[in-house]
Amino acid sequence: MAKKNVMRFELLMDAGNGAQKAGDILIKTLAKSGRYVYIEPLIPAEISPPKRTPHSLSGAVIRVANQELTNIGSTTDLMLAEHEILLNRRLDDCDYSDSCIILLDMAEERRAKDAYASVIARSESVGLTVIPFFMDEGSLGIIKALHGNGKNMYYLGMLGALYEVPIGDLESAVNLTFKKLSEDKLAKNIEILKNGYGNALSVASETYDIAATDVASDSILLDGNTALASGIIDSGYKLYSGYPITPASTIMHHLAKIFPSYGGMVHQAEDEISAIGSAIGSYFAGVPAITGTSGPGLSLKQEFIGLAYAAEVPLVVIDVQRGGPSTGLPTRTEQTDLFAAVYGAHGDNAKVVISVANVEDCFYAPHVARYLAEKLRMPVFILSDYSTSVSYKVLPKLPVHQLDSIDTLSDSVLSRFFLKPLPDDIEMVKTNQSDPGVSDQMRRVTGLNTNEDGFVLYTSESNHRGHQVRNEKIHHVKRSLQIPDLIGDSSGDVLVIGWGSSRGVIIESVERLRADGINVSGLHFKIVYPLPLGLADVFSRFKKVVTVEMAYGDHFKPTPLVTLLRSETLFDVQNLISNATGRPLKPVDVIQKVKLLV
Amino acid sequence: MDIVTLDKDKLNTSDSQNLKKNNGNVDKPVIKAPIAGKADKPNLGNSLDKKITMKDLKASDPRWCTGCGDYTILVGMRKFMVDNQLAPENTVHVSGIGCSGRVPHYLNTYGFHSIHGRAVPLSMGVVLSRPDLNVFIHSGDGDSISIGGNHLLHGIHKNFNCVYLMFDNQIYGLTKQQTSPTSRQGLVTQTQPTGSYLEPINPIKFALGLGASFVASTAEWMGAHLVATIDCAFKHNGFSFIHVAQRCPKFNPSAWNYQGSDWVTFLTHEAGVPADLKFAPDAKTIEHDPFDSESAFKYSVHTPNIFGVFYKEEKPVYNQIMADVVKNAPRYDRAKLLDGYLI
Repeated sequence: MAKKNVMRFELLMDAGNGAQKAGDILIKTLAKSGRYVYIEPLIPAEISPPKRTPHSLSGAVIRVANQELTNIGSTTDLMLAEHEILLNRRLDDCDYSDSCIILLDMAEERRAKDAYASVIARSESVGLTVIPFFMDEGSLGIIKALHGNGKNMYYLGMLGALYEVPIGDLESAVNLTFKKLSEDKLAKNIEILKNGYGNALSVASETYDIAATDVASDSILLDGNTALASGIIDSGYKLYSGYPITPASTIMHHLAKIFPSYGGMVHQAEDEISAIGSAIGSYFAGVPAITGTSGPGLSLKQEFIGLAYAAEVPLVVIDVQRGGPSTGLPTRTEQTDLFAAVYGAHGDNAKVVISVANVEDCFYAPHVARYLAEKLRMPVFILSDYSTSVSYKVLPKLPVHQLDSIDTLSDSVLSRFFLKPLPDDIEMVKTNQSDPGVSDQMRRVTGLNTNEDGFVLYTSESNHRGHQVRNEKIHHVKRSLQIPDLIGDSSGDVLVIGWGSSRGVIIESVERLRADGINVSGLHFKIVYPLPLGLADVFSRFKKVVTVEMAYGDHFKPTPLVTLLRSETLFDVQNLISNATGRPLKPVDVIQKVKLLV
Repeated sequence: MDIVTLDKDKLNTSDSQNLKKNNGNVDKPVIKAPIAGKADKPNLGNSLDKKITMKDLKASDPRWCTGCGDYTILVGMRKFMVDNQLAPENTVHVSGIGCSGRVPHYLNTYGFHSIHGRAVPLSMGVVLSRPDLNVFIHSGDGDSISIGGNHLLHGIHKNFNCVYLMFDNQIYGLTKQQTSPTSRQGLVTQTQPTGSYLEPINPIKFALGLGASFVASTAEWMGAHLVATIDCAFKHNGFSFIHVAQRCPKFNPSAWNYQGSDWVTFLTHEAGVPADLKFAPDAKTIEHDPFDSESAFKYSVHTPNIFGVFYKEEKPVYNQIMADVVKNAPRYDRAKLLDGYLI
């Protein structure tokens, strides 16, 4: 048994063979026995690509630790691969640690002797240890009887044993996950699970003891999109209007199951444009509504977003970012929709953009977004991304707020996003903002320019006033924002800045660098637009100010956050990491690049 | 902002006592408006407790061209509202872009002048969240079946409760004389100066083909027929599609021979709309049962020379289906929202 504080392992299987299910069960059982977990699913954009091809890689990357985890980490210490093609594909990513151990199922070896030999040689040539194994005859027989299903149960058993998950926990989790299976099939799956569990130690030489901590009895396990869906319910929206799009769909799936039980509706519109239109219609009628999408859908929604901005109708838009441009990388992560969110619609317009750093933020962002949208009567964005949407986290049970009106929103929810309450009286372009049903207050809203009475007017004076009043709404937010707490000291050699899901990576990198005596601090924005006042003062206390982003940038083209920070502060902010790889940032990359700077 | 918090259950069930019993956690409803559906109980009466007059319904002055048919549609709508004493505060006129898009500005009710082709989705949101409101959609031929075709298709299919008026002048007006999907073949326009290339889309066939629950055609210059058609559409529960022939003296004066009427045929029935022989004295009349789908399709080929209620059918209404999903769901307690995720 080897004692470890933190370790990362992964299960690689052909898509459709159940790697994701096995991963889910593993993190739930690991969490139940007191470990902290973080998962990054590797999923192809296609549903079931041909098996035994590099395109069919479906993997569960799991980081497990005896203390709080903020990100998926940098490298993998143990891989379990269903066959050599998947392993070969995954080696391309260079995501392994120097001492990485590979458990390789040899079942296909007789069909692909040369390929196996060459992949094993490739692994060994970079210093990795390959441990070949065969499933026992009994398990293979059952899998055959199950028409090829059940392999994932064997691997689940092996990994469960290696990470010292009690077999009873695995069994009950499997029973719960597959409760719809017939009794006979379920029993067969359990038998395979037990065989894998029992045979693990005859394959690997040791188990890993990642000392279980005392997890609070009311801990919950939540992923980003489920947290967003739960936050939508808690913050009192009554309509979710959406169109299926990866990776935002799971918000709608989750809400479809439970929202009606809380008095809410889930409307599946005919397209992205229609989805946002209905959200605007609902809010115009006085009932809080929200829409969710990803990059391509955001492009389609822009005209309606501009209408809500001009017509002064509250609106909340969730964008779970994926790789772009165009269809891009549907099942990979990126942070490149920032400008599309802030400036997307035509004409002078800007929106408040809230980003989520982690699962907890996902739960509370809908509250803050509703508060801002209704106070300012304009569109407010929640920017998440693929990696946050699928990352599971163990966390203490979050307090719920059961919001009916934004008047009762606690300041503590706002301060989580470094925001103070907005002023009570915020000027609108139109003085009358009443909802239908209020007599003697009938009003017409429009995307045309109007005066304060809501009448269509094309005079220069009235048009200019409209711009001023709308922009002043954003300025109210700017003045109510606090500079986020710095990670580390308030002065030093390097300041590393990011937004959204990079928070955990910044925290881990800065802490490790500071432990090495490097004078670096971190700054992370949750509200990315507008930015707080006084940033130039903060930047001036560091020799170098750099950003880390999952977005493309080069010598001539600064990344979005760099562009924004330069324009706000006139500081020579540089981009330290501009990763458009589709994968989360790695602490090891940040650490290495900061070390080169100082 | 003073948000109206609505409890859908309250809106859609008469059995609120029973709901209360198994429904401890539903948000307290704050409903400002009296609740009534378009079909079963129109939202009549107003807070002033005085009769609504044509004058009460005027907002700003229209800015259409002289002789534009939109004026008569506007007047017809006001007449219909006065006849029914429809509460202006519980009425929402929604439009897209185009000359028709301006209608909400000229009616002293609630209104939303939205974007090109997207009045249907916006109205859908209003109706889902506030089924108590009377919703009217005003849309031109381009707005309806060119840029807005997909939404109209799904509005008809979903059959949510509203009255849809398709203003058909067979031309793009506000952008100045371009070919529209209903322009007659050969019509000279700025974009097809040798004459419009294609056969026009038949909007009545379009609606019938999609299984619309209410399909009618009228013409704005036949005032009594227009008002009676809006009335009949309003009293139908579901997506009531009205095709309105409309004059555009500026860009397509030859579209409709509104001074003659020998080309006009009325479909009449006691469940439909009577012929308007005052404005169309030379018209033919055919007795047609609007519940007869086969005849409806048969007569639809004569569009746009045939007016009346083509088809009517009681069908499931989307906003009611959605309300029932909420009503029939087991009640969960928001205080225990995250309990299911305990490890």
